[in-house]
Amino acid sequence: MTQAIDTSLYAAVTDAIRNEASRILSDGTVSAVIGYTAARRRGSAQPIVVSRIEDAAKLIFTPACVNNLAVYLTKAKKEVPKAGRIGVVVKGCDLKALVGLMGESQLTRERLYLIGVPCVGVLASVVQPDTELTSESIAPKCRECDAHLPAGCDYVPAQKPVTPELEKKYAAEIARLEALTPAERWSYWKEQSSKCIKCYACRQVCPFCFCEQCLCDRNKPQMVESTPRPAGNVAWHIVRAMHLAGRCAGCAECERVCPMDIPLNLLNRKMAKELKELFDHEAGFEVNEKGPLATFTEKDDQSFIK
Amino acid sequence: MQKYISEQNLNALLDKLIAEGKRVVAPRLNAGTPLYEPLASAAELVIDRLPRRSGKEAFFPLCEDIMSYEKEGQRVELQDIDPVRFPETVLVGVRPCDAAAIPVLDTVFSWDYKDEFFLERRRKTTIIGLACTQADDACFCSAVGLSPGDPKGADLFLTPLEGGGYACEAFSEKGETLVGAHHELFAEPNGAKALPLAEPQTDAFDLKKVKQWLDEHFEDPSWDTIATRCVGCGACAFVCPACHCFDIVDEGTEKKGKRRKNWDACGFWKFTHHASGHNPRDQQPKRYRNRIMHKFKYYDDKFGQTLCTGCGRCIRLCPVGIDIAAILQQVEAKVE
Repeated sequence: MTQAIDTSLYAAVTDAIRNEASRILSDGTVSAVIGYTAARRRGSAQPIVVSRIEDAAKLIFTPACVNNLAVYLTKAKKEVPKAGRIGVVVKGCDLKALVGLMGESQLTRERLYLIGVPCVGVLASVVQPDTELTSESIAPKCRECDAHLPAGCDYVPAQKPVTPELEKKYAAEIARLEALTPAERWSYWKEQSSKCIKCYACRQVCPFCFCEQCLCDRNKPQMVESTPRPAGNVAWHIVRAMHLAGRCAGCAECERVCPMDIPLNLLNRKMAKELKELFDHEAGFEVNEKGPLATFTEKDDQSFIK
Repeated sequence: MQKYISEQNLNALLDKLIAEGKRVVAPRLNAGTPLYEPLASAAELVIDRLPRRSGKEAFFPLCEDIMSYEKEGQRVELQDIDPVRFPETVLVGVRPCDAAAIPVLDTVFSWDYKDEFFLERRRKTTIIGLACTQADDACFCSAVGLSPGDPKGADLFLTPLEGGGYACEAFSEKGETLVGAHHELFAEPNGAKALPLAEPQTDAFDLKKVKQWLDEHFEDPSWDTIATRCVGCGACAFVCPACHCFDIVDEGTEKKGKRRKNWDACGFWKFTHHASGHNPRDQQPKRYRNRIMHKFKYYDDKFGQTLCTGCGRCIRLCPVGIDIAAILQQVEAKVE
């Protein structure tokens, strides 16, 4: 049964974001604020970088504010101003990515002014932007969200998000895949990755894909087939999942933007589950200078060494 | 000459073509995603959804081998691909925005260099177009001079009728040949009215005004505001029916491998990365500017056509909500 989700708090959240952005731009706390603004299509929203006080009134927060804006703060994205302190509008899920990036020395807390969003959820990728937010149209990641009210921000509007209990989908789908035989699982991922067109939208929106040059773009020598064919497609998605293991904060942007509907977040959630079991590590809750795959302790599981 | 074909007979036609050994490419579901792909049977046809990618890949595949090589000691053997072997194809259910892009591609693939891979597939393909009865607010074909009922690019064009079935009209010799060869499946028009066409909501652009601004504003600060948020993926170009840039790579080992032609996109950082290390489009806004310039200025300068048919796919799928129709509106508004 489709449950309606109450998004009435977003109007007050929008006002609060505008006021705060205007305040921090006027008093010079920040040089720019990265947030969301309304776009042409009914109900749609898009990222915006606001550096003039009068433009603070353009900021909004609605169920169509789906992006993880942390991507604009990584060094691979050079166009966003880096001078001074930067304000950024963050949902709880996005904040986990920022925490991870701080741990990897890509950002420092002092350079950021975090405007946290009390969030009841945002829309899934394939629906029209003016769709009402319900238990059906909500983004899959929001079904298992544990960060409706981001912690540790410089400013959070006073609204309290009230969210209904929703059926979890990733956990169920991972359990279904784990129950398959390796051959069945391989065939599932081969079919999914056969759709990949190597547009690299998954990489480009990922806050953790901040390498100046991606291994998969190298051609002297070529490390991974760059053409969208089965061998290179599977290699690309496995390489990416391995590089994100223990780092991916679960914003699910890769899956949201995939034009071919490849369920990429399943790979990342599965890796996160492995990391939790093997190293009792979860990405995105506190700033860790060393991730589990970048350190060694004698307590690490060594049962795989035969 | 108008004919009528029922849904059942359309399916029978596709099954017959498949049985004759032709490649029938039409919208079907691939792991849940609608794509133009070869059908195993007409039962796979899913005609009511716009495929996620365009019809261009029937002629310009995502990736194709163009040569193979083998090397042993001093002996090097090169093997060309023989385009004559490409299969006879019928491309079915092509929306006007996709069909109209095909003659646009013909122009560029038969210009100074004749791309036999594209042209041979093109010669061997018959296109069955389909009028659109549904549009969303990303659709803007009518804003760039087309319409949901425009048969441009189609050899045979189907218009859905009230009460089921299609009005069918041939627009080329290929279309007439296809009807003639299977005349028993086509009937005389039954007088049913056509279903109302889709009504895209975007007002028509004055593309001359757009071009005028582009002609004069290669350098302009507004490119930064237009494109700062672009993350540099290739999604827009890869789902576009008219984008046609490609890369050529050799893949395999030193001893054996293939030379392959695959799609490329101007949004990518390495698209214009020179061997010297210099990159003339070193920032994302410059890359996005190229996309707009190519579609609405360069292609027009060279071939007198616009390289956009308003399918709206890039708008629906842009990870960061870049809306090409909104950008054209902004550009148009800048001209007095």
